[in-house]
Amino acid sequence: MELSEDDVLHILKLIDESKFDYFQLEVGELKITVSKGEPIPISASPQSAAATQIPAPALQSVPVAPAPAPLKEAPKPLVIPEGMVAIKAPMVGVFYVAPEPGKPPFVTVDAVVKADTTVGLIEVMKVFNAVSAGVNGVVTAVLAQNGQLVEYGQPLFLVKPS
Amino acid sequence: MSVTRVLVANRGEIAVRIINACQSLGIETVAAVSEADRDSMAAQKADRAFCIGPPRSADSYLSVDALIAAAQATGCDALHPGYGFLSERAQLAQACAKHNIIFVGPSAENIAQMGDKLEARRIAQSSGVPTVPGSDHAKNAREAAGLAKSIGYPILLKASAGGGGRGIKLVSNAGEMEATFSTAAAEALAAFGNATLYMERYVADARHIEVQVLGDHFGSVIHLGERDCSLQRRHQKIIEEAPAYALTEEIRIKVCEAATTLARSIGYRSAGTIEFIYDNDTGEFYFLEMNTRIQVEHPVTEMITGVDIVALQLRIARGETLPYQQANLRLYGHAVECRINAESPQHRFRPCPGRITKWLPPEGQGIRLDSHCYPGYVVPPYYDSLLAKLIVRGNDRAEAIHRMRNALAAFQIEGVDTGIPFLQTVIDDPDYRAGKVNTRWLETKLEEYASYSTPT
Repeated sequence: MELSEDDVLHILKLIDESKFDYFQLEVGELKITVSKGEPIPISASPQSAAATQIPAPALQSVPVAPAPAPLKEAPKPLVIPEGMVAIKAPMVGVFYVAPEPGKPPFVTVDAVVKADTTVGLIEVMKVFNAVSAGVNGVVTAVLAQNGQLVEYGQPLFLVKPS
Repeated sequence: MSVTRVLVANRGEIAVRIINACQSLGIETVAAVSEADRDSMAAQKADRAFCIGPPRSADSYLSVDALIAAAQATGCDALHPGYGFLSERAQLAQACAKHNIIFVGPSAENIAQMGDKLEARRIAQSSGVPTVPGSDHAKNAREAAGLAKSIGYPILLKASAGGGGRGIKLVSNAGEMEATFSTAAAEALAAFGNATLYMERYVADARHIEVQVLGDHFGSVIHLGERDCSLQRRHQKIIEEAPAYALTEEIRIKVCEAATTLARSIGYRSAGTIEFIYDNDTGEFYFLEMNTRIQVEHPVTEMITGVDIVALQLRIARGETLPYQQANLRLYGHAVECRINAESPQHRFRPCPGRITKWLPPEGQGIRLDSHCYPGYVVPPYYDSLLAKLIVRGNDRAEAIHRMRNALAAFQIEGVDTGIPFLQTVIDDPDYRAGKVNTRWLETKLEEYASYSTPT
């Protein structure tokens, strides 16, 4: 089938206005995959405002790899188990599990989260952004490590939706 | 300075081109990709792909923060910006410097100087390079009308912050000045955040001529000859050639000298292109603007000089001296490039994203294809429609055109519409073959084409 520019724009508009973050359409040979991810506003939650006060030690833990370090393999695409939802990184940056070094993590395995629960922080260029769960449920796995530089869309947690 | 791992901060064919150049020099590559490009050829060819953001360019390929974070995350010591996106934003070059990442390109200062088209015009004038007769200052419509009397109509009003054919308005006579001036200023403010305008005499019968220059960190500047990019559609180049076949040897030497003089005057390093407008009526040429990056059409120059320009950008970035001297460079034959876009010529060239089901490029003597496409590749709707650049070289222009004709006919693409049928009519056109073209010629061909091609 032929897909016109208007068709594509129409599909994108529908996705944009929907509550879905991910959309896949297959019609014969044609396959369209669309996803969206909204960056979380810096001032989205009080936690993130507080987190900008994180003292120097937190920043020193940022692993800035020296050039000769071997190039790490990209993480293998994780297969999300049936019935689970991944909380994905909304931006590139350094992932933190806790509001400050030494403080308990925002969430651990078995924690009950709501869509607006802050589950971690991502720092990019010295600006800290809160990561919201985006889903109601129970955390079943923490996938990313504290201080790790994460890619956009990288799964950080697994949640069993309630 | 050493360059051991490069972040490729671009997409499409130029990302693949940069990866190939890095590999030829034993440099590792990390492809910075948006979510829409995770399966791109660049992602597959690079040593590693790193996802920098969602499909929308503003949040991925146009995000300085995401690119710097990606470079740091993957231990890159250099970043190549390609063309378009952030390649001519001084902000990216500055951010790289701040984070000890080598920017594969010119200094942030040079990018800023040439990004301001009015400033660039002044620099050209002060280094003795001819500019189009006009005026550097046109504060308001009344002043512009007064100045236009001595320049002579028609004139062009240009946005200082514009460039690449954007932010230009034609004023045919004094009666149009007041209305056009206020529209042009308002549009410049909206599009570029700067309402400053300047004026140039309009050259009706013009060719677009540009000179490829290269400079190193030690003040050496050479040129690799010129290109003729007169065939444009809405200011977008469609077919490019090297050398500039319509100019006399004397003028070709002059225009290349003007280009190196200008580049030398600002201590330019890396690859750059200096664009000129050539008046077919008078034989005069004038400086238009400088592009401080690699250009889409660089392969035509590579085909006739044998120089790998992208590899040279990387070698210059790591502190090497230019390995060529002007006197040793020769041009071999003639090269033509056709840009093959995912667009439908039968439907007023509307973009045509979708899955490529068949991709069978032409092969043979003197043929080069720069592309990121493969069978099964899905052309995403978020970015420009360039699928491939088909480049051919011949011993002379006629042979090059003959080869291009055969190569276009042999190119088999299914799943998306492409501009190939239109390119074929251009290549077969007697005026094109005779070289009787100017910057407006292609637009007239488009009108002809639209009138006899019926939608299917």
